[in-house]
Amino acid sequence: MPIPAKAFQRWLHGIAPHTSTSDICRVSGIKRTTLAQQLVRGKVAEATVVSISRAYHVNPVSALAAFDAYSQLADAHPPTRSELVSQISTPDLLRAVLARSAADPGGVPAAAAPAGSSTLDPAPHATSVKNWVEAIDDGELRHRVSAATGIAPQNYSAQLTANRLAPELAVATSLAAGVGPASGLVATGLVTEAEAGWPPGARQSALDSLSEGELTTLAGDRLQTLGRALRRQEHDHEKTEKIWENLG
Amino acid sequence: MIEILQWSTLTVCGLVATARVPSALKGMNRTLFYIFALMTFAILLSIQAPYFAIDQALGGVNAANLLLRFVIFAAIFFVGLRVTRGFGADDAYRLLTGQVGMAVLGLISLAVIVLFLLMDTAGSSAGMGSVAIKDARNGLLVEYYGAAGRAYPAYVSLVLLPAMVRACRSNIPLLVRVAAFLLALGAIAIGSSLSFPVLPPALGSVEFVINYTAVLCFVIGLALIWVAKLWSERSGPRQKTSTAK
Repeated sequence: MPIPAKAFQRWLHGIAPHTSTSDICRVSGIKRTTLAQQLVRGKVAEATVVSISRAYHVNPVSALAAFDAYSQLADAHPPTRSELVSQISTPDLLRAVLARSAADPGGVPAAAAPAGSSTLDPAPHATSVKNWVEAIDDGELRHRVSAATGIAPQNYSAQLTANRLAPELAVATSLAAGVGPASGLVATGLVTEAEAGWPPGARQSALDSLSEGELTTLAGDRLQTLGRALRRQEHDHEKTEKIWENLG
Repeated sequence: MIEILQWSTLTVCGLVATARVPSALKGMNRTLFYIFALMTFAILLSIQAPYFAIDQALGGVNAANLLLRFVIFAAIFFVGLRVTRGFGADDAYRLLTGQVGMAVLGLISLAVIVLFLLMDTAGSSAGMGSVAIKDARNGLLVEYYGAAGRAYPAYVSLVLLPAMVRACRSNIPLLVRVAAFLLALGAIAIGSSLSFPVLPPALGSVEFVINYTAVLCFVIGLALIWVAKLWSERSGPRQKTSTAK
């Protein structure tokens, strides 16, 4: 849930005392009308807090943790391996598959992939939210999130498919899965890996620790999902074309 | 109130038909132009003053009303044709153009003509009001004649409805879904016109509202699909969505 304007004002006074609203907007790159509107409505978006924190060199996760609704963000866990891998984009995974087979055409697991030969794209990627939830799902996770937050399962799924997840749902999902509370905010792109306390290179080492079989299966799954999504898109596109051909 | 509705519906239909003239001249989906033109003509024939003028020219025996019925049949038939084709509703397309569809159209047309000939139709009046009050027999015949005239549009609407509901829930562009929703609404309105004979006479104005709502829904719905196409052409080739990365 968005942050109450009163609590936000108090927090703002703490990190930037005696600074005018327009200065804050200028430094943090928020549109003045946007902030004004959020203040008038009494609800400030989490992204606003994140932008302002960054502008004033405060860690956005600890800034959010200062608010009641996000107090759970205070106790940080390291991310699990599957979470780390879920935040690697599909093209990066495919590159890793190719790099390994090139490095070792015999098919015997390579001792070490050529480290640093390529850097991974920063999280989030095109399907990072869904991949993250799938990585931490024990089969009952969606059910528990829906029970805890009251969101209808189909609305939750719709957000995942659209690669979105409201911050409070991201945190609720982390808690329901028992993983680090900030992971979901990384997957939705609200905060960066570093801001969430993920060690540098953690995703790369998680990738390197995957066996040939694990990596290939994972890449295959991702490709299959991507293929299905593309097919669906093409199908919808064909339908639209037909409508326009006949009725346009 | 009803006058305003009639003339504004006529204006909307006329404007859309005019707007389709350039593309009709270029040969793009001429049927759409014919649909809009036929609907405009049908609305014109349903308004008292123009009806009177046209019917007088045709001999003053309400032949214009018979003409109006077949103009509506033609318009709704072409709507059904284009919409089922466009939305890929092959089963619905067969129900309109196959043997069943042709039999329904033939029987209803025959009924309309026979009922018209059975009536004493002298004296121009839109909606055959003055014919209905001549005597009980003519009153009953007008009732049946009206029901027969509404039957074919209702048949086409019911055939279209499932495809429109499906289209509303699919993943096609939003404007096209809105259009499908309007077409579905129009289809429901026409379908509900079957219940007119059981409506109490006091609710006569409801019939007008339903009729013109149906026409407006169809015309605006079809025009909206066209707008959606122009829109997408102007905004260039479709952007890839997030999953296409």
